[in-house]
Amino acid sequence: MKRRKSLVASAVALAVLAAGLTATAISAKPTRHSANSIEVLSLWGGSEKDAFLKVTAAFTAQTGIKVVYTSARDFIPEVRTRLAAGNPPDIGILPRPGYIGTLAKEGALKPLSSLGISNSYMAGNYSAGWLKLGSSGGKLYGVPAKANSKSVIWYKPDSFKKYKFKIPTTWAQLLAITKAYKAKGLVPWSVGAGPSQSQWTLTDWFENIYARTAGAAKYQALFTGKLKFTDPSVATAAKIMTQIINNKYVLNGVQGVLGQSFVGSITDVFGTSPKAQLFFEGGFVGGIATGQVNPSLKAGKTIGDFPWPTIKASLDHPVVGAADFAGAFKDTPEVRQFLKYISTGTAGKIWVSTNAVTSPNKKVPASSYPSPIVRAEVKQLATAKTFLFDGSDLLPGAFGDTWGFALQDVIQKPGNIKSILSTFQNKIQGQF
Amino acid sequence: MSTQPISTPVAAPPPPSEGRRIRPWSGFERVQGILFVLPALVVLAIFLIYPAYYTIRLAFYEGDFHFGFFHYLGIANFKQLLTNDPDFLDLSKFPPGGALINNLRWVIFYISISLIIGLGLAVLAVRVRYERAVKTALFVPMAISATAVGVIWLLVYNTDSNVGVLNALWHGVLGQHPVSWLGNPGIVNYALILAYIWASIGFVMVVLSAAIKGIPAEIMEAARVDGAGEWNIFRRIMLPMLSLPISVVTIWLFINVIKVFDIIYVMTTGGPGTSSRVIAFTMYEETFENGRPGYGAAVAVIMLVLIAPVMVLNVRRFRSERVVA
Repeated sequence: MKRRKSLVASAVALAVLAAGLTATAISAKPTRHSANSIEVLSLWGGSEKDAFLKVTAAFTAQTGIKVVYTSARDFIPEVRTRLAAGNPPDIGILPRPGYIGTLAKEGALKPLSSLGISNSYMAGNYSAGWLKLGSSGGKLYGVPAKANSKSVIWYKPDSFKKYKFKIPTTWAQLLAITKAYKAKGLVPWSVGAGPSQSQWTLTDWFENIYARTAGAAKYQALFTGKLKFTDPSVATAAKIMTQIINNKYVLNGVQGVLGQSFVGSITDVFGTSPKAQLFFEGGFVGGIATGQVNPSLKAGKTIGDFPWPTIKASLDHPVVGAADFAGAFKDTPEVRQFLKYISTGTAGKIWVSTNAVTSPNKKVPASSYPSPIVRAEVKQLATAKTFLFDGSDLLPGAFGDTWGFALQDVIQKPGNIKSILSTFQNKIQGQF
Repeated sequence: MSTQPISTPVAAPPPPSEGRRIRPWSGFERVQGILFVLPALVVLAIFLIYPAYYTIRLAFYEGDFHFGFFHYLGIANFKQLLTNDPDFLDLSKFPPGGALINNLRWVIFYISISLIIGLGLAVLAVRVRYERAVKTALFVPMAISATAVGVIWLLVYNTDSNVGVLNALWHGVLGQHPVSWLGNPGIVNYALILAYIWASIGFVMVVLSAAIKGIPAEIMEAARVDGAGEWNIFRRIMLPMLSLPISVVTIWLFINVIKVFDIIYVMTTGGPGTSSRVIAFTMYEETFENGRPGYGAAVAVIMLVLIAPVMVLNVRRFRSERVVA
């Protein structure tokens, strides 16, 4: 009988325990940070994260407010999950202006004007173009945090000297160099648009070509839903892209492109045992190549960059660029102070001193940039006659990725460009 | 390390014989019984039944970002998924494509190859002196998280023949042009399946080898005395006696394969394009990347519909099984 009693006792104990667990599960409130601390969520890692932590350290030193940095590689799913749970971060670094519109429409982001940051103050620190990108529905939500040019091509100055190549200023000249490299038995290009979400590099190829063949007005229309992807200009640009990204001119052919990651393809060109000669991606490539891939690179000798050549002379060379924006999910005095701080020139100067980023802030002079490679990028951004924002990042929600997947199909089946584009148009129809 | 993680049904105690009458329960015993089951029921209701109900209901709505029941759509989500979403089901080309078809590929190749290799290894391993060493070596991948398995195989499949083992063989030894195993839509699914098989055969082998040990030695000896060859012993004694553990393992593999996600997320994120998406990955992509919780829930319901009959079959099989050594 004693045994039975103890069994009953343990059963009751279990039931109580289960009920207790349930009660905690239901009453559990989102964890609250101790006062005087904020959480920032971002997808930055590596050199970009280190640079940002320098800025937050300066902020903490000045205000005593601690900054907890949370890194999320898959930014938007993380934000959605935490919003649904009622536990969003205080501040998110939004990697795409497209997200600002999506999140603002859902009421998740706080407008800057409600946080005590006036439009006129922001206009004093940032140009109108940047502020427009950080806005949705006429309200400003995002502080432009860092910017990059995506209209640069990376090359090896020593190799150009050896073969007597000149810096190409037109697409025809770039193709001629590509062919010349091939004729010498070298692989001209490496492109990484494969595993681990590297399809975005193809969207950047397309954007630079599209801006140079269809012009800025059509570019804006296409990426804001006013022009269909079935427009003939889109197919034309996609076809021009395959003049370089094909089995002849890229390392390991089209299959190699789809099997290589972004950083892997930088290593193919600038690593210690290079296999290809030319590389295209944004200004941030310099930092990754010299910092991460091969520290022995020498700017001007073994690594250098030139602006994307023109394709149609009348359209010149517009600069395609991208930026990340800081937006607030909560309104607390600490959040207000932090956003105000990172929008100052002081914060911008600390940020760019790391060589990892360029700042869209007007109060950060070119002389604050230590590296000549970064300074050239800043000059390109500052002097661009036409600046266009990264189109795939303007597409709503995750359509930037979907567009990259479509371009993966394009390089595999250049004959099917039309049907690939109409499939994509069907998907994005009505999403803007 | 224990090599017998689950007790095999072969060794299960016999069910109560039909003839024995069970004495009616006293009131105290009833209360006791309910109390015993209660905690499990409470946990089950909170963590399984309620979420399942919620998901099924959500599948009929568009849903908002709080996962609320916003904008009733009826069966529109399902209709769109099954008839008008080439990423999920595309019957317009040959061979057909889409996440559902990819999952079918997984079911066929992953389950059959895992079973054949696992069973083969189990049968062979019991015959050698270094059985323990073999089993341990093959079981190790089972202890690696799927994420790490993905990273390991990303290296194996690397297009650079100085990094990727497979291309080192293909390019370095056979002199062929390096192949992008994960970049080719025709190969990528099989490349992923192979990586997952590598991670699973250890388990299949350990379970089946434990079951083989449960087969009484007298039966096999008797067969040998009667002049049966090794093949006949395997074919006519081992296989029939292993039918229950094999079906259990098959169901485990099936459920594994319908919910496969992690390795795809790590290795290809469903690419190139959408050519390596499976059902579970589509659910994640639609719910969290594209912000369509209702549509994602509909995918989840389809997944549930596919798994449920197999589960029922499994439970029934356990109940009716009369294989007793």
